[in-house]
Amino acid sequence: MQKLVVIGAGMASGRLLEQLIEADATAYDITLFNAEPRGNYNRIMLSPVLSGEKSYTEIVTHDDDWYAANKVTTRFGEKVISVDTARKVVVGENGDVPYDKLVFGTGSSAFIIPLPGHDLPGVVAFRDLEDTSAMTEAAARPGAKAVVIGGGLLGLEAAAALRLRGMEVTVLHIASHLMERQLDPAAGYLLKKDLERRGINVILEAQTKEIIGNGRAEQVNLGDGTELPCDIVCMAVGIRPAVKLAQDSGIACGRAIKVDAQMRTQTPDVYAVGECVEYDGNLFGLVAPLYDQAKVLAKTLLGQDDSFVMRELSTKLKVTGCDLFSAGDFADGEGREDIVFRDPARGVYKRLVIENDRLIGAVMYGDTADGNWFFGLIKDGTDIADMRETLIFGPSYQGGAQADPLSAVAVLPPEAEICGCNGVCKGDIVKAIEGGAADLGAIRATTKASASCGTCTGLVEQVLSVTLGDDFVLPTAQPICGCCDLTHEDVRRLIKTKELKSQEAVWQELGWKTRNGCHSCRPAVNFYLLADWPLDYKDDPQSRFVNERNHANIQKDGTYSVMPRMWGGMTTPQELIAIAQAAEKYGATVKVTGGMRIDLLGIQKEDLPAIWHDLNQAGMVSGHAYTKGLRTVKTCVGKDWCRFGTQDSTGLGIKLEKKLWASWTPHKVKLGVSGCPRNCAEATCKDIGVICVDSGYQLSVAGAAGMDVKETERLVDLTTEDEVIEWTSAFVQLYRENAKYLDRAYKWVAKVGLDWVKETLADPATRKALVERFDISQSVYQHDPWAERAVPSEAVKFQPMADLTQEAAE
Amino acid sequence: MDTVLDAPVKTFLQVTEFWVPEGDRLVLATGNYGGLAAFEDATRAISFAKGEGLPGKAWAEQRPIVLKGFDGSYFKRTEAAAEAGLTSAVAIPVFDGDALRAVLVVLCGDDDARIGAIEVWSELDGLMMLDDGYYGAAKHFEWVSQHTHFPRGQGLPGGVWSASTPMLFRELGSGYRFIRADSAGKAGLTTGLGLPIPVPHDRQFVLTLLSARGTPIARRFEIWDARPEKVGHETAAILTDGICERDGPLWTDDNDTSPRRVTANQGNIGKVLASGLPVIVSGAPTLTEGYGSMVALPIYQHGAIAHIVSWYV
Repeated sequence: MQKLVVIGAGMASGRLLEQLIEADATAYDITLFNAEPRGNYNRIMLSPVLSGEKSYTEIVTHDDDWYAANKVTTRFGEKVISVDTARKVVVGENGDVPYDKLVFGTGSSAFIIPLPGHDLPGVVAFRDLEDTSAMTEAAARPGAKAVVIGGGLLGLEAAAALRLRGMEVTVLHIASHLMERQLDPAAGYLLKKDLERRGINVILEAQTKEIIGNGRAEQVNLGDGTELPCDIVCMAVGIRPAVKLAQDSGIACGRAIKVDAQMRTQTPDVYAVGECVEYDGNLFGLVAPLYDQAKVLAKTLLGQDDSFVMRELSTKLKVTGCDLFSAGDFADGEGREDIVFRDPARGVYKRLVIENDRLIGAVMYGDTADGNWFFGLIKDGTDIADMRETLIFGPSYQGGAQADPLSAVAVLPPEAEICGCNGVCKGDIVKAIEGGAADLGAIRATTKASASCGTCTGLVEQVLSVTLGDDFVLPTAQPICGCCDLTHEDVRRLIKTKELKSQEAVWQELGWKTRNGCHSCRPAVNFYLLADWPLDYKDDPQSRFVNERNHANIQKDGTYSVMPRMWGGMTTPQELIAIAQAAEKYGATVKVTGGMRIDLLGIQKEDLPAIWHDLNQAGMVSGHAYTKGLRTVKTCVGKDWCRFGTQDSTGLGIKLEKKLWASWTPHKVKLGVSGCPRNCAEATCKDIGVICVDSGYQLSVAGAAGMDVKETERLVDLTTEDEVIEWTSAFVQLYRENAKYLDRAYKWVAKVGLDWVKETLADPATRKALVERFDISQSVYQHDPWAERAVPSEAVKFQPMADLTQEAAE
Repeated sequence: MDTVLDAPVKTFLQVTEFWVPEGDRLVLATGNYGGLAAFEDATRAISFAKGEGLPGKAWAEQRPIVLKGFDGSYFKRTEAAAEAGLTSAVAIPVFDGDALRAVLVVLCGDDDARIGAIEVWSELDGLMMLDDGYYGAAKHFEWVSQHTHFPRGQGLPGGVWSASTPMLFRELGSGYRFIRADSAGKAGLTTGLGLPIPVPHDRQFVLTLLSARGTPIARRFEIWDARPEKVGHETAAILTDGICERDGPLWTDDNDTSPRRVTANQGNIGKVLASGLPVIVSGAPTLTEGYGSMVALPIYQHGAIAHIVSWYV
């Protein structure tokens, strides 16, 4: 095993060890030196340790157990005296360690301004636990005072923490506003105000002259004569890469140890990572790039390819209640534009800097919620031209307001039924969760909810989420549309459970994000409401597609087709004469359809009421060739005419059509009834197909002959026509009550499973109830829409709004 | 989640309940009575008008109230409390601007073993002064606290006051305002939760819960930030700080991991976000991070929930 020696147990080298060991724990025999008498801890969390808002133990990243478990030999509290790169040996205070590979992770040290008195006891930096402990100790004296030199990130975190510790704190900053490298003057102003509100004294453009005291720091004097008595001075003015050991060892250094993109120094088998490196002329002080470097170096050490890439950085200040964010470049410049938002009452300031339709910088104070989004735009160089006007308001403004997808389920009472198949209420599911059922499988096993047709799965998962919080990860589901985050299935179920009987109720109770839905969700919700509440809800024509509104199919030239119903494909000479006369009168093209009907094409919209009236006069009604509803029942001639016919297929087809016509369904429904297995009516590729046999009737469902071609699946074998009508009606009602809008029957059956459909319909009581509900619905909807619209008061709605062929009078 | 309950401990707070306005009265929403059935029965039978009883007084006076010793006081359930061994109570009103949303009431028993502190601090002449507090057997700490004040930004009360945000302090025995810290250390107080209590008038109140290991107020504390400045326009909250006896630190270093985030109606914290009311859950460890009970309290700011603090025991 090769020997790896790492000098320095900081955050970068700590991350390196994690990555290396995780990738291949047997690759190296590792020895870790650290001058501090401890291992890796999260140094950037020292500020809250200083303030008392965290304890040291909370920020330890690797404790003794971790090093032992990962077989890392630790040499903590031992300084490295030298490195002999020729012999490949690290010389420690307690002895030599040979290496095959060596990593410098020596980090940085605080920069101490060489003021008079800078070396007095009581002058500390803010780099490590020792500095933190020294400051904590100083704070424990009554009336203790601190002077913090440096109004950057670290200095301000120290100042706020020392104030919390009970000290009188003064911050001295040389520039004209705080954190001038990360903030613009406006944000700097707000930050100063915030710190002063915490009782911290901030002096800008401060020229620190000297630190004086009798054997220890007791006072800081400024160039303007200001005298600041103190018990401790914290110097937080910057860092310097700690590279003396590397320099002494002959490793090539500039301002820091020079590395390439693989973190290799110019000395063979010697690498460097963290704040002690210089890459492409850059030094590093924030943690994000250090972690990137660690990842790259781990791969390099394992002989894998990777390269370190510089990336944009963002800044946050760890002072509780102080929300600040900055990223990118926000200096003034030619061609740069600012977008600024201020809310004086809330102390909010946001500034975005734009150049060439790209966001290049962002400074935010008081409201940093969108910081990461802006940071992403900066990093990705996104073209923001289209959202420029609203950019400052953040991502949620671009996508509309966010709704709460769980609210509908959360407010359901315990007795609300979630699973209709098994009669499982919300309270049952919550009890099961309290009893330890923590996922869908456990809920199914304990309550049977979602265990049958599965259409309530989304709701069960939402109950899990509402009850368990973020311990349960809600799967991503396809929402009904952009107006609402609920799925079609959830909307359907909640309309029933919450007894929502109007569109307004749906919009409000299910948290619609738009005023009244859109072209996509309105037809679906309209259908769900009329299917579930036929006596309470009134069909809304404005929520229908144009063909359903006009009760005719619009054609590519803007004219319409008109197709009268012919029950079971049967017609009479009188009907044919009426059709022929209408065709002639309104200039129609006549076409016989695949569903055994006659289609009149090329009718002008304004002629529709008249042609409907004429056809009505001959006893014909709408053929509903345009609806999500029953289209046609195709039949063969049956036993009356055909030598092979076993039953009266035509008669049964007519009865079925008369039962089912004018019912609204999730998608169109086509039927076929064939008098024998030769299947001349092609019943086995319909939504519902009946094959007559000697013993009775084979009822099958879920066929298709469109984009998909699929044979029907046998639902049941029956002996009488009445049974066929009962089962067919029950199936259609089950489909109406459960399917997603615009799912053909075969798609719906595939989702819920034919077994569930069979089981449900096999129960006589359930079947009877379904038929009863279907009949109730038909009592409302089974009427001829043509007749209603052929009367003059309605017909006028089909006239053009204006005659645009006439010229205006002068 | 580990749902194995730890060995039962003697808790500092024995009863927690919250009351909500209904018309012109406060009615009980829910409570955790820790098996004090008779007191629970007595509670369920009553409601309070404004100014009546402890919850009604907190409502009327628009401030948190500490009441020590019920005999002869305005406390309404004195007899039942005496039978249950409850001797002190603190009422914490939850105001959303001028509107009262709820009153949280905690009740404690008096014995030599229970150590902890629940304190109400209020601003007077630019300093946070102790309004009143209940300390159980921590008598010296009580005396020290009565003689301590905090300027802005100093210590837990001063820090909460100046930052307008809840704060969670560790290792109370070291540091802040030396004498109080020293006494806290000697009393065995370990963790301190401080939270601002907004009221309709200008006076500033800070509530602190100081927990001792032997008779903890809580074994897990959480601070959630729900301000739009932090979570955006979604009704959500992120876990910004927390400490748990079993799980250790609950905060995350956002250089590495995003903080936990819940949206409205997601779990107990989500319930607070959605309802705007406190939540008390007991008897279902799977819903309370494996502990026996939990309390979550919303803190309003600018007409919306800004923070939620929760504690579990």
